Amino acid sequence: MTVKLFRLAWRNVWRNRRRSLITLAAMSLSVMLVQGSHNLSVGVYAQMIDNGVRAGSGHLSVYVGDYARSRDEKLTFHRADLQTRIAALPGVAQVAPRLYLPGMAQSSRESRGILLTGVDPEVERVVNPFLRKLGADEMLRSIDGRDAVIGEKLLRELQLKPGQKFVVTVQGRDGELASELLRVRGVVRTGMRDIDGSLVLVGRERAAKILGVPDAIHELAVILVQAQDDVTVYPQVVALLGPHPGLRVVPWETAMVNLANAIKFDYASQQVIFIIILLIVTIGMVNTVLMSVLERMREFGVMRALGATSRVLVTLVLTEALLLGVVAALFGTLLGSGLTWYLAEVGIDLRDYIAAEIEFGGVVFEPIIRADWDWVWMGKLALWVIPLSVFAALYPALKAVRIAPVEAMRQV
Amino acid sequence: MPLVQLVNINKTYQLGNQQIHAVHDFSLSIDRGDFIALAGPSGSGKTTILNLIGCLDKPSSGRIEINGVDVAQRSARQLSDFRLRELGFIFQSYNLIPVLTALENAEFTLMLQGVPKAERRSRVTDLFRQLGIAGLEERRPNDLSGGQQQRVAIARAMAANPQVILADEPTANLDSHTAIELLDLMRRLNAEQGITFIFSSHDQQVIFRARRVVRLKDGSLQSDSLESAE
Repeated sequence: MTVKLFRLAWRNVWRNRRRSLITLAAMSLSVMLVQGSHNLSVGVYAQMIDNGVRAGSGHLSVYVGDYARSRDEKLTFHRADLQTRIAALPGVAQVAPRLYLPGMAQSSRESRGILLTGVDPEVERVVNPFLRKLGADEMLRSIDGRDAVIGEKLLRELQLKPGQKFVVTVQGRDGELASELLRVRGVVRTGMRDIDGSLVLVGRERAAKILGVPDAIHELAVILVQAQDDVTVYPQVVALLGPHPGLRVVPWETAMVNLANAIKFDYASQQVIFIIILLIVTIGMVNTVLMSVLERMREFGVMRALGATSRVLVTLVLTEALLLGVVAALFGTLLGSGLTWYLAEVGIDLRDYIAAEIEFGGVVFEPIIRADWDWVWMGKLALWVIPLSVFAALYPALKAVRIAPVEAMRQV
Repeated sequence: MPLVQLVNINKTYQLGNQQIHAVHDFSLSIDRGDFIALAGPSGSGKTTILNLIGCLDKPSSGRIEINGVDVAQRSARQLSDFRLRELGFIFQSYNLIPVLTALENAEFTLMLQGVPKAERRSRVTDLFRQLGIAGLEERRPNDLSGGQQQRVAIARAMAANPQVILADEPTANLDSHTAIELLDLMRRLNAEQGITFIFSSHDQQVIFRARRVVRLKDGSLQSDSLESAE
């Protein structure tokens, strides 16, 4: 009987071809829209996370205690062989040691608050997207030299030019102020006002010397080949930190709370829109199935008279909705894949609409946005459309069985 | 024991503030193998009595027994099952399911009973041959004439081997030639297979072909007589 009912339901779906096609189009386009928007967000977030972790704390970061939250510059550590051992783990692309020292920069004309950041020039050049843009003659030449790469805004405010000297002053570990003469080698523009106005990159050993603690670092930023590898790499890093009880590894969501929260908030507001779209589609579905049921009241009455139980009629109406849902899910996913393909390959160029650089959650938002495939989510959404369609048919199905056969057969 | 027994049946409807007495103190016994016409003008209560016998409606008072079962005591689900197994229906406007083929329409009650496909096919194909509509199995109702559709409806009613076939004005939408042909066919099935037919009509030409005619007027029994069309 099931097969027969299924066939009857399928033919009923196509009884009013135009109405079914319009409903299917609305449902499929909604699935396409939601899948495309989700994948675009995934792409944008992935790009932002990638930019963020490369210029910031890495996919995973090793700190002393709660440095991620407190930024207490006393919480330094020595990397010993940790850097090489973490770098050797499968899935790890680079490990960048960094030392952060808040202080003051002074030119002959102006002074400004800065964050003196000690880095390994060779590693950082590979990792940091902003340093990649610099020419060989603009990059730090050694780990302990006096070269400095500074933010564009800071350069302007200190009224400096590349090649000119300036002095940085930080508090040494002994509590005394320590100053150092540096020379502007290169200038970076990240698009983030705070960073462009305070960044001073120097060789890590030069920074450690100013602090008065040779080889000290605040952070080991672990850059992964793929962001999703964090699940496998994280426990391995934890294991490597076993002999170093003061050290802990934190994921980027903890190290860069602002970015994580901005993404969460943005995606939450998108989900509200997704729910509204699906709700509208469900109402459309209720309308279609209800119309189809009301038009066939007499037929339902005849079927009841012939001995069909309420269960048979409810099953029939719900199967019709199920079939519409399955077709919409399949066709919608096909369209959603097409849209995602376009958004991934071509993307959307926002340069005509927004400023060259827009900051979002503490990272720069690229003006050409591209989608990333999230097949699992697309599949989940498609699977959700099916029970949603069946749910939309519950009221019409109840309507179909509530009418008495005699009443129904009186209808024309 | 009679196959169908109606005892002191009353049926009233509420229409706004008015109470309509559709059937008034009506009693009738129908034996197995009867070929009986309920005759009377429109509004005389023919359809109401057919609906009551068909368990599609419940009497306001009185008792209905079919094949020894007091149908008033049955739940809606039990009545569905009773209709499915014991009764066959033929409607004035055929009421075939438009998206099903003639064969699938005739199989419908068998499908509801869960009869296997091979058995359904053989039973319905045989019926189509008996009813003179062999070769039309794959046609949709829209592609059939009124007479052909009604024959498919008879096949549907007969497929499940019911005790009684109830036909409400089965020839009302047919031309007189086809109507008489159909009545003769029903009469033949009654004679050959012993199926009990109860049908309503106000067409004298049709009523004349019944073996027993129950005449109704204003919801009451006017006469109950044996005619002789043989």
